[in-house]
Amino acid sequence: MGESWFRSEFLNPRRLVFNVIFYGIQFALFALGWYLQVTNKKLAALNALTWSVWTSRGAGLTLAFDAGLLLVPMLRNVIRVVRPKLAWLFPADENVWFHRQVAYSMAFWAMVHTTAHYVNFFNVERTQVRAEYALQIHYTQPGGITGHFMLLIMVLMYATAHHKIRNQCFEAFWYTHHLAFFFFIGLYTHATGCFVRDSTDPDYISTFPFYSTQHCLGYESWRFTIWPGILYFGERMYREYRARRATRLSKVLVHPSGAMELRIIKPSFKYSAGQWLFIQVPEISRWQWHPFTITSAPEDPYVSVHIRQAGDWTHALGERLGCGPSIVAAMTKAAMKGVEKNENEYGGTRGEYVELDSVTLSPALPHVRIDGPYGAPAEDVFDNEVAVLIGAGIGVTPFASILKHIWYRQKKGSLGALRRVEFFWVCRDAPSFGWFQTLLQEVEEAQVDPNFLHINIYLTQKICDDMLWNLAVNGAGAEYDPLTLLRTRTMFGRPDWKSIYRRIREAIEIGQYLPGSNAQLTTKVGTYFCGPGVLAKGIKAATVMHSNKTVTFTFAKEHF
Amino acid sequence: MGKLIWHDLSRYISLTASIYAVWASFWGILFRKFFWDFIGGVLRAPGGLQPSPKVAIFITIIVKFPLIQIITMVLGFIIIALEYPLPVLKGTALHRSIALRVVLLIQLSSVAVLFYQGTNAALWSLIAATFYIRALTLGERMEEPKKDKGQVEEA
Repeated sequence: MGESWFRSEFLNPRRLVFNVIFYGIQFALFALGWYLQVTNKKLAALNALTWSVWTSRGAGLTLAFDAGLLLVPMLRNVIRVVRPKLAWLFPADENVWFHRQVAYSMAFWAMVHTTAHYVNFFNVERTQVRAEYALQIHYTQPGGITGHFMLLIMVLMYATAHHKIRNQCFEAFWYTHHLAFFFFIGLYTHATGCFVRDSTDPDYISTFPFYSTQHCLGYESWRFTIWPGILYFGERMYREYRARRATRLSKVLVHPSGAMELRIIKPSFKYSAGQWLFIQVPEISRWQWHPFTITSAPEDPYVSVHIRQAGDWTHALGERLGCGPSIVAAMTKAAMKGVEKNENEYGGTRGEYVELDSVTLSPALPHVRIDGPYGAPAEDVFDNEVAVLIGAGIGVTPFASILKHIWYRQKKGSLGALRRVEFFWVCRDAPSFGWFQTLLQEVEEAQVDPNFLHINIYLTQKICDDMLWNLAVNGAGAEYDPLTLLRTRTMFGRPDWKSIYRRIREAIEIGQYLPGSNAQLTTKVGTYFCGPGVLAKGIKAATVMHSNKTVTFTFAKEHF
Repeated sequence: MGKLIWHDLSRYISLTASIYAVWASFWGILFRKFFWDFIGGVLRAPGGLQPSPKVAIFITIIVKFPLIQIITMVLGFIIIALEYPLPVLKGTALHRSIALRVVLLIQLSSVAVLFYQGTNAALWSLIAATFYIRALTLGERMEEPKKDKGQVEEA
């Protein structure tokens, strides 16, 4: 927790604005729904039910708003298209967060709506406003049936979507969440059957929508809420179509650290640096899509992802590609120990990767499908004068693509506003990310301007005595760092973000950091972070603390 | 492919169902109605539904005096206390018993199904009980919390 609920919800201006608008709209709609019911002369008979019917109608209208909004943050492709234009308006990368907020609100209003309706139908039966049993409304009419169904679906969906369940069994969450299809069918048909009416009997007609609006006086909210549903359905269809376009797994490389690099050729796939994709291997699982960061640059002739065999799906993939756990385990062990490093120390290169070529491999490489790309904030690196890229642990992957991309752009001489790059990598055991070090090495070698790219590696693992001595003896005076084989020295312990940002700011202010930059203008320093949330908070605090007139620090976090 | 821990999932459903049960029994006290009163009942206007004399016992314990609703509420609170859990129950053998939950949930389900507002709670607690039974058949256990948790080294 750390900070209090009040502080995070109300003392943060952006959050405050969001809360006022989002919850304000909901309460306004509740009041509107209530008011329209109370003042509708035609519905005088229903108004005999008093507060409960007003409440149910108000909550119903709010629920319609929420349910209509629910799918909007899930329109991934639409968001990807609009986010460059609308990034200032809303945090496009917090879409899942927003989806959750809408869902929480929906659970609340569903409670209000259902409670009120239980009172309504109780009183309908008691007073016989309509000649029917309460249970007839509950269990034989569309509104009641769909309502109970939606509640049940919500229980299952919410329970499996809890982060604890999602983490231990993503499939349980993923498959259960597709009940949403039935939920939305229920939602759109919830008010059918001419439920809110001024006549004794429902007034049905033979043409669409099969009830007459003369006597059926509901809010007709389905006319609005159905559009996001249709859009979302269309998007899923489009994703399916796009995923089926020609895709070929051309190469699999196994890195000494155990990471598999899949190189995929898909001409129709266009992306920019720092984005991610979904990958599916039908042979392993027909329905599962797994998100991975793209590690190749847009300029590369292929799309590559680096996969570590961590979960069962990735294990199955490794098995299928012929680099099963035993092989990889041995390689990983070797990499951790730094065996191959010693052998190649004079050359200054890392252990080579092993290519699994498709000729000797039997059976042939499996069919893969990819879907994407999907956005990530790192696309706009080139708008900043200084980019601070921070990767923590495995969160370093998006920066592979970005660094490569920067390297390509550097060769072409089209770096945009970007003048300097500070790259931070915080991780516990660097040697296990050998493949990334290879890449860093290439990028570092290619630097002409010694000031352009600055690599900082922080190793947070505890080092034992032996290792300490080794480092002290072998590392001193060597051209390359003994751990990473980069020119840059590895630092130990956790970085102190506050002093790092202060130093950057001070260096910019006295003009030695960006020679020739105009002191009158504001220097933009963009921070791009990928890693655990706790670390993000600290870094964000540091960026906020050190922003001033001449130097503005911005912060963006990536999500997996 | 991931390993679902059924009693973790069931906990959330059980919590939802028992909170619903408490809420429903509160409203059930305000608006008292025997759920199954339509069986043999007669609908009159005005006057509403007249239950059959055969179910008089239920009318007594639900409509005349809301005994069932009160039992539901108490059971609901007990389950919440067990699931959330109440600090004093945390880590006790009671708290770690899946079988106890199954029993309580089935009891909750059988009382909640009797009154008008309780049916959803009854259905959901039955689902939660089913999932707990699934957890039991798979041999899941709620482990005792590790004593040496929360060291500074973590991060």
